[in-house]
Amino acid sequence: MNEEIPEPGRAPEEPQARRGGAAREGNGLGREEDGAPLTRQRADGGLNLKPSGRVSVPEEATQPDGATVENPVFSCRDVNVFYSGKQALKEVSLDVGRRQVLAMIGPSGCGKSTFLRCLNRMNDTIAGARVTGHIHLDGRDIHDESVDVAQLRARIGMVFQKPNPFPKSIYDNVAYGPRIHGLARSRAHLDDIVCSSLTRAGLWEEVKDRLSSPGTGLSGGQQQRLCIARTIAVQPEVILMDEPCSALDPIATARIEDLIDELRESYAIVIVTHSMQQAARVSQRTAYFHLGELIEVGNTDRVFTNPRHRLTEDYITGRFG
Amino acid sequence: MSRRALRKLVNALALGLSGLATAVGLFFLGAILWTLLRSGLAGMSLQLFTAMTPPPGSAGGLLNAIYGSVVMTVIGILIGGPIGVLAGTYLAEYGRNARISGVIRFVNDVLLSAPSIIVGLFVYELLVVRMGHFSAIAGAVALAIIAIPVTVRTTEDMLNLVPQGMKDASTAMGAYHWRTITSVIYPAARSGIVTGLLLAVARISGETAPLLFTALNNQFWSSNLAAPIANLPVVIFQFALSPYPNWQQLAWSGALIITMSILVLSIAARFVVSSLGPGGRS
Repeated sequence: MNEEIPEPGRAPEEPQARRGGAAREGNGLGREEDGAPLTRQRADGGLNLKPSGRVSVPEEATQPDGATVENPVFSCRDVNVFYSGKQALKEVSLDVGRRQVLAMIGPSGCGKSTFLRCLNRMNDTIAGARVTGHIHLDGRDIHDESVDVAQLRARIGMVFQKPNPFPKSIYDNVAYGPRIHGLARSRAHLDDIVCSSLTRAGLWEEVKDRLSSPGTGLSGGQQQRLCIARTIAVQPEVILMDEPCSALDPIATARIEDLIDELRESYAIVIVTHSMQQAARVSQRTAYFHLGELIEVGNTDRVFTNPRHRLTEDYITGRFG
Repeated sequence: MSRRALRKLVNALALGLSGLATAVGLFFLGAILWTLLRSGLAGMSLQLFTAMTPPPGSAGGLLNAIYGSVVMTVIGILIGGPIGVLAGTYLAEYGRNARISGVIRFVNDVLLSAPSIIVGLFVYELLVVRMGHFSAIAGAVALAIIAIPVTVRTTEDMLNLVPQGMKDASTAMGAYHWRTITSVIYPAARSGIVTGLLLAVARISGETAPLLFTALNNQFWSSNLAAPIANLPVVIFQFALSPYPNWQQLAWSGALIITMSILVLSIAARFVVSSLGPGGRS
């Protein structure tokens, strides 16, 4: 899996990524005006920088580094989000790779959940929210007028912080997506989808005898796995997870993490988490957000063992946040 | 006096006053119910439910009035219920932040507390004058207009209680908003909406003033919706004011019947809430 992740700084060799890079540089918003030379410089020697000199302008240009991947499923450029005029996300450019987990970490209010909600346009549902910039899913602008937002969301599953099963039976919870999108050809086919989704979510054995009992009657960890089963029942391309384990105990958390690891074989996953251990365990790439800005992104091993930005280092070593 | 003693005194005073207020309120409620039971039960018989309203001095029952009340209440809620639920849905889901919603809420609150006799006069102008005579359907429309604001309010409140996370989950699944409303939000708020409808039924089944100007009354059996129809509140009103003892007795019994049905409806509403659960578990 790791071969697919380009080394930070090497990505701009890819045509698609270079296009993104050009767009960034062309945007010329002050701090990025010297982005191109810096990127080049980092490509050959950036890793050797000592922690001491890391607070000023050069680090700001860390953002493009490692933000792009080969053949991304999501490609985001210069994304800004405003809630009632207040800026919650600033000029974030970040790609989401296929068949890998991207973890987003950072202190509360840093914009990581906001960014997540941009990807399936859930910010549209918030009054007073405004999103600018470019977000492409498989090369297509998700804000294009021809895009049906409901169809878009069907391709992007989302798992929330608090398990939120519908007030329906376990079966109907999982069948909800296939039903509203007309995915099942017959009752038997729907049964198949429900069974396989629950199996993949690791819940089948526990609930197979009570599919008609309410989903809200399950334990917290089971409910969250039910929500994951509900999400994968429509076979999305990407799964967004917004702190999916923060309401769960360690055992349930471990089960969800195992599940994420398995799901990675078929889906791109973006996970917001407050647990750095979790980010280190489940993800291949990690992005660190701070006050609405993307500070650093790269290979998870690299970010955790050799953070380039002092803010990242402070955060992952627990000095603040 | 120490500060602590003062606080205790104030506490005792507050407790005593609120207890007294409760006792006064409950006393009058109890007195009304007691009088109603004592006088109403005296006239309770099977004949009450099988015979028509009688002329003065002879025996009879309230069958036509009970029938008329039930018919008008049912039609009233059938008209007012859907309008109220849909308007409440608009306020809670589609127009939550729209400026017009604030206006609608305000007008709805005014309508909620408007004297019901005004609703009666409105329907009198709207239907009775044009039809040329009183009718059951005019009575039902008047009741519907009274039921609408009650239903709008309870529906909006109940829909707002549905957790945002549940709505988000459906939206994130790629459901259109109408689908989210019908498949997720309504089932989740079902017990609350049904309770609201039952309370609206309870409210309109005792209304007298709007019926005086619309359905009027009928001494005889009538199932014609275009004709005046007997109904319990107006029968009680007329019979209670009459000088005839048998009419007065029927008025007491009718009052007891209405009160008891409202009591049963309220209990049913509570039962609906507890059996469907606060989250409306299916």
